[in-house]
Amino acid sequence: MDLLTGIFITPFAEMIGLPDLFFQALWDGFVSGTLYGLIALGFVLIFKASGVFNFAQPILVVLAALALISFYKMGVPAWISVVLVLIMFYALAWLIERLILRKLVNTDGNILFMSTVALSFIIIGAAQWIFGGRPSSMIHKELGFPVGSVEWPMFGGGVYFELLDISAAVVAVLLIVCLGLFFSRTKIGRGLRAVADDHQAALSVGISLNQIWVIVWFVAGVVALVTGIFWGARSDVSFALQIIGFKALPVLIIGGFTSVPGAIVGGLMIGIGEKMFEIYWGPLLGSGVEGWFAYFIALGFLLFKPQGLFGDKIIERV
Amino acid sequence: MVNEQKKVMMEVKNINLRFGGVIAIQDVSFDIQEGEIRAIIGPNGAGKSSMLNVINGFYHPQEGEIWFRGEKRPSMEPYEVAKTGIARTFQNIALFKGMTTIENVMTGRQLQMNKNFFWQLFRYGPAIEEEVEHRKRCEEIIDFLEINHIRKSPVGSLPYGLQKRVELARALAMEPELLLLDEPMAGMNVEEKQDMSRFIIDVNEEFGTTIALIEHDMAVVMDLADRVVVLDYGKMLADGTPKEVQSNQAVIDAYLGVAH
Amino acid sequence: MYFRETGQFKSKYKEELAAFPIFEDKIGIAIAALLAFVLIPIFGLPGLSWDFTMSAVMIPVVIFTITTLGLNILLGFAGQISLGTAAFMGVGAYSCYKIMTIFPDLNALICVVLSGIVTAFVGTIFGLPSLRIKGFYLMVATLAAQFFLEWAFIRIPWLYNYNISGAIEVPYKEMFGIVLTGAKSEPLTRYFVCLGFLVVLTWLASNVIRGRIGRSWMMIRDMDIAAELIGVRPLTAKLSAFAFSSFYIGISGALMVFFWLGAAEVESFDINHSFTYLFMVIIGGLGSITGCYFGAILVWVVPVILKEYGKSVFGIDAFVMENFTTILLGVVMVVILIVEPHGLARIWQIAKQKLRLWPFPY
Repeated sequence: MDLLTGIFITPFAEMIGLPDLFFQALWDGFVSGTLYGLIALGFVLIFKASGVFNFAQPILVVLAALALISFYKMGVPAWISVVLVLIMFYALAWLIERLILRKLVNTDGNILFMSTVALSFIIIGAAQWIFGGRPSSMIHKELGFPVGSVEWPMFGGGVYFELLDISAAVVAVLLIVCLGLFFSRTKIGRGLRAVADDHQAALSVGISLNQIWVIVWFVAGVVALVTGIFWGARSDVSFALQIIGFKALPVLIIGGFTSVPGAIVGGLMIGIGEKMFEIYWGPLLGSGVEGWFAYFIALGFLLFKPQGLFGDKIIERV
Repeated sequence: MVNEQKKVMMEVKNINLRFGGVIAIQDVSFDIQEGEIRAIIGPNGAGKSSMLNVINGFYHPQEGEIWFRGEKRPSMEPYEVAKTGIARTFQNIALFKGMTTIENVMTGRQLQMNKNFFWQLFRYGPAIEEEVEHRKRCEEIIDFLEINHIRKSPVGSLPYGLQKRVELARALAMEPELLLLDEPMAGMNVEEKQDMSRFIIDVNEEFGTTIALIEHDMAVVMDLADRVVVLDYGKMLADGTPKEVQSNQAVIDAYLGVAH
Repeated sequence: MYFRETGQFKSKYKEELAAFPIFEDKIGIAIAALLAFVLIPIFGLPGLSWDFTMSAVMIPVVIFTITTLGLNILLGFAGQISLGTAAFMGVGAYSCYKIMTIFPDLNALICVVLSGIVTAFVGTIFGLPSLRIKGFYLMVATLAAQFFLEWAFIRIPWLYNYNISGAIEVPYKEMFGIVLTGAKSEPLTRYFVCLGFLVVLTWLASNVIRGRIGRSWMMIRDMDIAAELIGVRPLTAKLSAFAFSSFYIGISGALMVFFWLGAAEVESFDINHSFTYLFMVIIGGLGSITGCYFGAILVWVVPVILKEYGKSVFGIDAFVMENFTTILLGVVMVVILIVEPHGLARIWQIAKQKLRLWPFPY
């Protein structure tokens, strides 16, 4: 009986009783949701453009953040460091294409996926070697992002909006809109979608596979950098950020592997859903349920709507 | 050819199958008699393969009944249908690519094998005896279809015609009462078609297996089939002996096209 | 023509269905057994101390081979991908601990087997989504298992008997007067226990895989629709694969904690370990039992030996070696994927093929 009230009554009573807390949770969930959506977008870009399920995306986030901090610590001005990281990512994209992807054209999706897992091992080893394994703090202040917070009185209490969170949300939304336009409106975008459908067919109509892959991996790197900056500012920069990166996977399940709006909506659902669950239902189970709840939301979706929110129903043929 | 005394093995009645708004099969009824070779023909997209899928439980029609051996069949999953003695081959080859020919044929014996997990675990006593017994049976089928030489080759690397034959072997290994063949001769050259036709007739005559097949090559159909069903755009156009069907005006129109 | 089948005729199907129908294979197995059972336990590996050989190389590699067998059954034979391997090993370890606590007098080996059975149940439950989904979608579902179980290992203190350290503490156990587990046990004893498990489990796996049940897994893997139309029930086939695989993984988890580490916290079961086991399977070769041995040896032994040599011979910092071997592992994996996606087992097979014809290539 206690359990039932704990599940069905108390949380909702708390939501109504303390609306300011509720809105605070909603906002926090929203911000992490946009960032999840952003990481998921990195996955979607590469999946759409090359059919590769890129498991290295989370580690790219870590790499971006670590590299940025290291450049800054070497005395490079903050914004120049950003440019250096971008150059580094372009070089990395070129190398990945040259050394790995080019050799795996037309192979099975599973093999491509495994190669990105291997790639993430290479990056982990290299990043730890070069940048060291100790957590460090992000340089968002030096990059000119505002710090501090504004309080907005509401329902007799107040909701805190971290200025950094607001800028994260704004930048994320801007980036998402730009990428959406890039994909749907430009020639490169069309080429990307052609490559995703069929490597050989795309080659036969004169699309340069190699160039497309370099671009896509570079764009994924840019997305990783943005995510790295904001997640890094919210917590420390360390290899634990990788685990946050994996949260993008349930987002993909909800939104579908190829849908840009799906990544956003899925990200928000996961971000808000897990925050609510942690705050209102978490105490029943002991804290830390944020670690797995996202995956259970995704599981629920898989069982009832396996094609995701924005996917088409596939009729199996014999 | 059509023997009135023959028993009806399977009867499909008023089948309707839709995918969303698309109507794949509309009010189709026909029967399959024991021991005959029954052909289903029609232009591309006529719903032939869908019909086979309905018969072996892969698609569930919205309306209609299937009667098998004088009983109305409840809605079944494909693996349950397989247990009732219906086997099939596929239009696009559906062999198990990671296995060799003999292993593929052995998979057809899956339902006949029943020794439980613990015997399997130790591969001793009844389990190994069962394995040997079924292996013998499979070797006979491989012999029959003349694919001895590729017994141990991985099927993925075999030429198309042989893959089709292995698929037939796998279906035969199930010792089916009703064998469904989905375009068994698609993409074959004349020689391979002759071989395949010979095998189909042999199977029908030697094992007494009832066969329902889909085929595009009219010459083959007219030679092989006892009776023919013609489908077009999911509807039934004609049903009868090859001769009757050949002279049916609606069928001629469907194949040659008419001015509307 | 060092390696040949010709001239070795079989007059009974039963003989051909044997595990190693070819004479040369039998010799190979005999040599490997001699190394594992006699030579290495007596002399150790060249350049390494005997203690190090046993406790850092041989015991773990034997245990990880069992893990790899389990994962390969699921991934290589039944085609169902799982990223929850490490967490399932955790299930094995924690359930073994609980069983030992609840039945203090029960033989340690029986405890290990029972913990395998518990893991099989848990694995089957987390395998349920496989009935609706496949591929990458299933992978995410297994991640749910990984993260949920990791959380449970921390948040449910009952699992580690409310120890303040939050870790499993291995109790003292003996059999026939020989100390099996705990701080006083000999590495040699623990090694032979693990090796015994490995031999029996390999034999059982090869039996199941060549029989009816193993075939039904491969059918589902290669073409699930066709398998269903031949009469394989996906529910039974998939769940039995999950159960059988988890049984192996659970046993290896219990062995890892009770016969190797001696104590374990949740870090031993995190997602990065899951990836390592995945690498063992892929590098060794999907769908090959021999491959499991190759994979575990390459992924575990080579880095350990490199690290040790790096330290003792070249005086390289452990941190550098650690990262170097991580990179190396990734590179080996990429090379394998590019050169031969079926792993070392296939390369081995090709080599045998060449030997069969040698010295005449055609």
